[in-house]
Amino acid sequence: LLLGAIAVPLTLLWDFSWESTIGVDRFFGPPHAANYLAVALAGGAALRMAVDATRAGVGGVALGRMRAPLGAWIALWGALAFVAALLFDRWWQSNYGLAAGIWHPPQIAKALSYFAVLAGAWIALLGRQRDTRGALAAALAAAALLALITVMTTAQSFANRQHSAVFFELGCAAYPLVLVAQCVAGRLRAPASLAALGYMGIIAAMVWTLPLVPASPQAGPVYNALDHLLAPPFPLLLVVPALALDALLRVFAGRAKRGGWASALEAGVAFFALFVTTQWLFSAFLLSPAADSGLFAGGGRHWPFFLRIEPSARTAYWDFMSPSLDATGACLAALLAVLSARAGLWLGGALRGLER
Amino acid sequence: VKALCAALAGALLCAASAAAHIGSPNVFFEGVAGAHPVRIVIRPPQTFPGLAQADIRVTDSDVTGVSVKPTFLDAGDETTPPASQATPVAGDPQLWNATFWLLRRGSYGVEFALESARGGGRVAVPLQAAALARPVMPPALGATLVAFGALLIASAIWLAAAAASQAGLTPGAAPSPRQRARGRAAAGVAALVSCAAVYGGSYRWQQMDRDFANALSKPLPVEAEVRREGEQNLLHLQPTRDAPVTAAWDTLVTDHGKLMHLFLVREPDHDAFAHLHPVRRDSLRFDGMLPPIPGGTYQLYAEVTHEDGSNETLVTKVNLPPPSGAALQSAAGPGGGTLCLSPSSSPPAGADQPSALDFDDSWHMGVSSSPQARSAPLMGGGRMEFQTEGPLVADRDTTLRFAAFGADGAPLALEPYMGMFGHAALRRSDGAVFTHLHPAGSVSMAAAEMLARRDGNASPMPLASAATAHEVEFPYAFPQAGEYRMWVQVRTGGRVLTGVFDVNVLERS
Repeated sequence: LLLGAIAVPLTLLWDFSWESTIGVDRFFGPPHAANYLAVALAGGAALRMAVDATRAGVGGVALGRMRAPLGAWIALWGALAFVAALLFDRWWQSNYGLAAGIWHPPQIAKALSYFAVLAGAWIALLGRQRDTRGALAAALAAAALLALITVMTTAQSFANRQHSAVFFELGCAAYPLVLVAQCVAGRLRAPASLAALGYMGIIAAMVWTLPLVPASPQAGPVYNALDHLLAPPFPLLLVVPALALDALLRVFAGRAKRGGWASALEAGVAFFALFVTTQWLFSAFLLSPAADSGLFAGGGRHWPFFLRIEPSARTAYWDFMSPSLDATGACLAALLAVLSARAGLWLGGALRGLER
Repeated sequence: VKALCAALAGALLCAASAAAHIGSPNVFFEGVAGAHPVRIVIRPPQTFPGLAQADIRVTDSDVTGVSVKPTFLDAGDETTPPASQATPVAGDPQLWNATFWLLRRGSYGVEFALESARGGGRVAVPLQAAALARPVMPPALGATLVAFGALLIASAIWLAAAAASQAGLTPGAAPSPRQRARGRAAAGVAALVSCAAVYGGSYRWQQMDRDFANALSKPLPVEAEVRREGEQNLLHLQPTRDAPVTAAWDTLVTDHGKLMHLFLVREPDHDAFAHLHPVRRDSLRFDGMLPPIPGGTYQLYAEVTHEDGSNETLVTKVNLPPPSGAALQSAAGPGGGTLCLSPSSSPPAGADQPSALDFDDSWHMGVSSSPQARSAPLMGGGRMEFQTEGPLVADRDTTLRFAAFGADGAPLALEPYMGMFGHAALRRSDGAVFTHLHPAGSVSMAAAEMLARRDGNASPMPLASAATAHEVEFPYAFPQAGEYRMWVQVRTGGRVLTGVFDVNVLERS
C-alpha cells in the first residue's frame, strides 16, 4: 500500500518531466503505464486488506459481509474513481485535447481519485502504527500526500512564483492540514517533520535521477532544447515549518493544555511565518547561479521545451502572472494557515481515535 | 500532468487558426522533391497535441529513406523538433508512411526529405492544423460513466456515514443512537457535496465545450452585397460588423496570381457557377464586376491566403439581380442550356461582354448532362470526360482524371490557366464539403511557394505535369460519402471551359 502511494507522486513527476522534455506520450506511454500500476498497486493492497478483514470477520467497517479498514475503503473508492476518470479522460483527450482548457472535468476527477487513494493509504497506515516501522510507514504515506499537493500545484510552485500571494495562500491552505493531522495522529517523536523530510526525499529523488535519462523533444515548437529528462522543481523546504509544528503541538502541548482554536492559531501562524520566510529566501537562492547544479536544478536554466520564456524572466519573479505577497495576501495566507491547522487538528484527533 | 504542463504554456495553446476548404481537412500535394516526383497526403489531427499521419508516394525506386519534420511557422526553424523517419508500407514499394506530433493548432510547414543516390530532395508542404468539430460522446461510454458516477456517489455517501458513525468504535461495538445520527448527517453532507460536484462538473464541461466550440476553426464572417453602377453589377465583399476587430485583408498574398478566388454557386440547383477574382479596394473590402449570370440566391466561397501561409475559405450568400445591359454571350452548347463563358480577347462575333472583368474570370450555366454521366458538354460543342475508373470511395486516395475533346472529337490542347493545367471546385450536395483543387493538390500554391523560397528549394510544383496535353489530374480523397458536383475548368484556345460532373461517393466499407 505504501509503495503504491509513494509511486503515485513519483510517476506523476516522471510524467511531468516526460511531457516537459519529450512532449508527447500515448495512453500507455511509460510514465502513464507506471502511474496506472501505482494506483493498481495501492488499490490491490487495499483490496487485500479488505479480503483479510472479511476473512477475519471482525474489525474494520462492514459493508454487508465485506469488511475493510476505513482507509482501505477510501483507497478502493479512489482506485474505482480513477478507472472512471481514466475512461472519461481518454475520451476527453482524444476529442478536446488540451484546447478546451486545462482543469477539465476528467482531470479534476483524476486528481480527486489520486487524493482519495493517497488519503486512504495514509489513514490505513495511521491505523497500523504498532511499532516504529508502522509509524514510519504512516509518515511516508503523509509524505506522499504532501508530494501530491506539490505536483498538483506545480504551475504555481515554480521558484519564480514563490513570492506571489497565490503561492503562499495555496501552500498555507493545503500543507498545514496534512502536517498538523500527521503531527497529532503520528506515533513518532516528530511525525510531521518526518513526513516533510519524506516529502522532500520523494521529490528530490526525481530531481536528481530524472536528468540522468537522455531524452529530447519530439514535437515542436521547441523553445528550450533538452537532451535529458527535465528535473521537476526542487521541493519546498516544508521540514522547517514542520519542525515548528512538531515542537508546538507535541513538545509544548503537553505542558499547557489549550483549546483547539488556540493551538490552531499558534500552529497556523507559526507555519505561515516559517513557510513564507523559508520559501521567500530559498526561492531567491534557487533563482541564483549558485543553484545551477544537478543538486537544486535551479539558476533559471531548467524549462519545459514548450515554454517560451524571455531570458530576463528565467531568473526573475513572475509578478506579471500574479501579484507579489502584500499585507492583504499575507493576512489571507495566515488566516488560511490557521483554518487549515484547525481542520488538521480535528482530522488528526479523529484519526488518532480511529479504531477501524 | 498534461494539464500542468499545458498550464505553463498558458495562452500559447489558445491561438485560433483559420479554416481552408470546407469539410475537407486533409492536405493533398503532388509535386517534386529535388528530382523525385512525390505525392503526399497529410491527415492532420483534430485535437492537440495530436498525431498527424502522412502517406508519401514516391515513384522512383532509388529512394532509400523519407523523413518528416513539421515546423510551426509562427515559431521559426530553430524550434523544429527532430525529423521522424517514414517507414515503407509492406506490399507497396512506392508508399511510405510517417506519423508526427503536432503540439498545437496553427500553420505548419511540413518538410519531407528524400534520400537517394541522386542526392535526394526536399519539399515543404503547407499544413493548417485546426480543430473542426464539436465532440459528441458515444452513448455507450456515456452510460458507462453515468453508472460509474452513480456507484461512486452511493459509495461515497456510505463511506461518509460509516466513517462518522463507526470509525471510532472498538471492533464489535455497535454505534449509539447519537453516532448513528452523526452518520446520517455525514451521509447528508456527502450527498450534498456529491450533488454540488456533479452540478459543478457539468457546468464546467458545458462552459468548456462552449468555449471550445467558439474557438473552432471558422472562417471570418463576411457579407456580400451587389450595387448597380451604370449597366454593371458590382459585388462588394467585406467582414461583417460582428467580425473580430483584428479582421483585415492587408496581410493577403496572391495565390495563382490572385488575392482572392471567389466561387459563386446558384442555389438551390447549383445550375450556375462562376469563378471570379475580385480586387482588394482597401484592407476591409474586395470589389468585383459580376459577369452576366442569372439572378437568384448564390452561395459564395472566397479563398484567400495570408502571408503566414494560412489560407481560409470565407462563406456567405448573396442575392443577385438578373443581368441587364450587357447581353449574354450566345454560345449554346450541345446540351442547349449550357453556357460556358469567360472574358476573351476575341469574343464571339456579336457578343458583348462586360468590361473590367479579370481575364481569368469564368462562369458557367447549366448542369451536367445527366447524373453520374462520365462525359460533360463543353461550350463550342466539345466535351470533357471523367476518366477515373472504378467507384469513388470516401477517404480513399484517388486521382480525378479529366480529358477535354473538341467538337470534332480530337483532343483539345490545354493551356495554363492561372499557372495550372486545370482547376476543380467540388461541393457536396448539402454544402458540408467545398474544396478547390488543382493538379498540385489542395495546398495553397502561394504557401507552398513561400515555404520553398524560405527553405531555398526549387518550386515544388513545376507546371509540367504527368498529364498529357489534353488531360488534367487532381489528387484527392473525398472526406465524406455522398453526392458531389464537380466543376472542372481548363483553358484552351484562350478561353476557359468548364465541365460539370455529378458523382456519387460511396461509404468506405
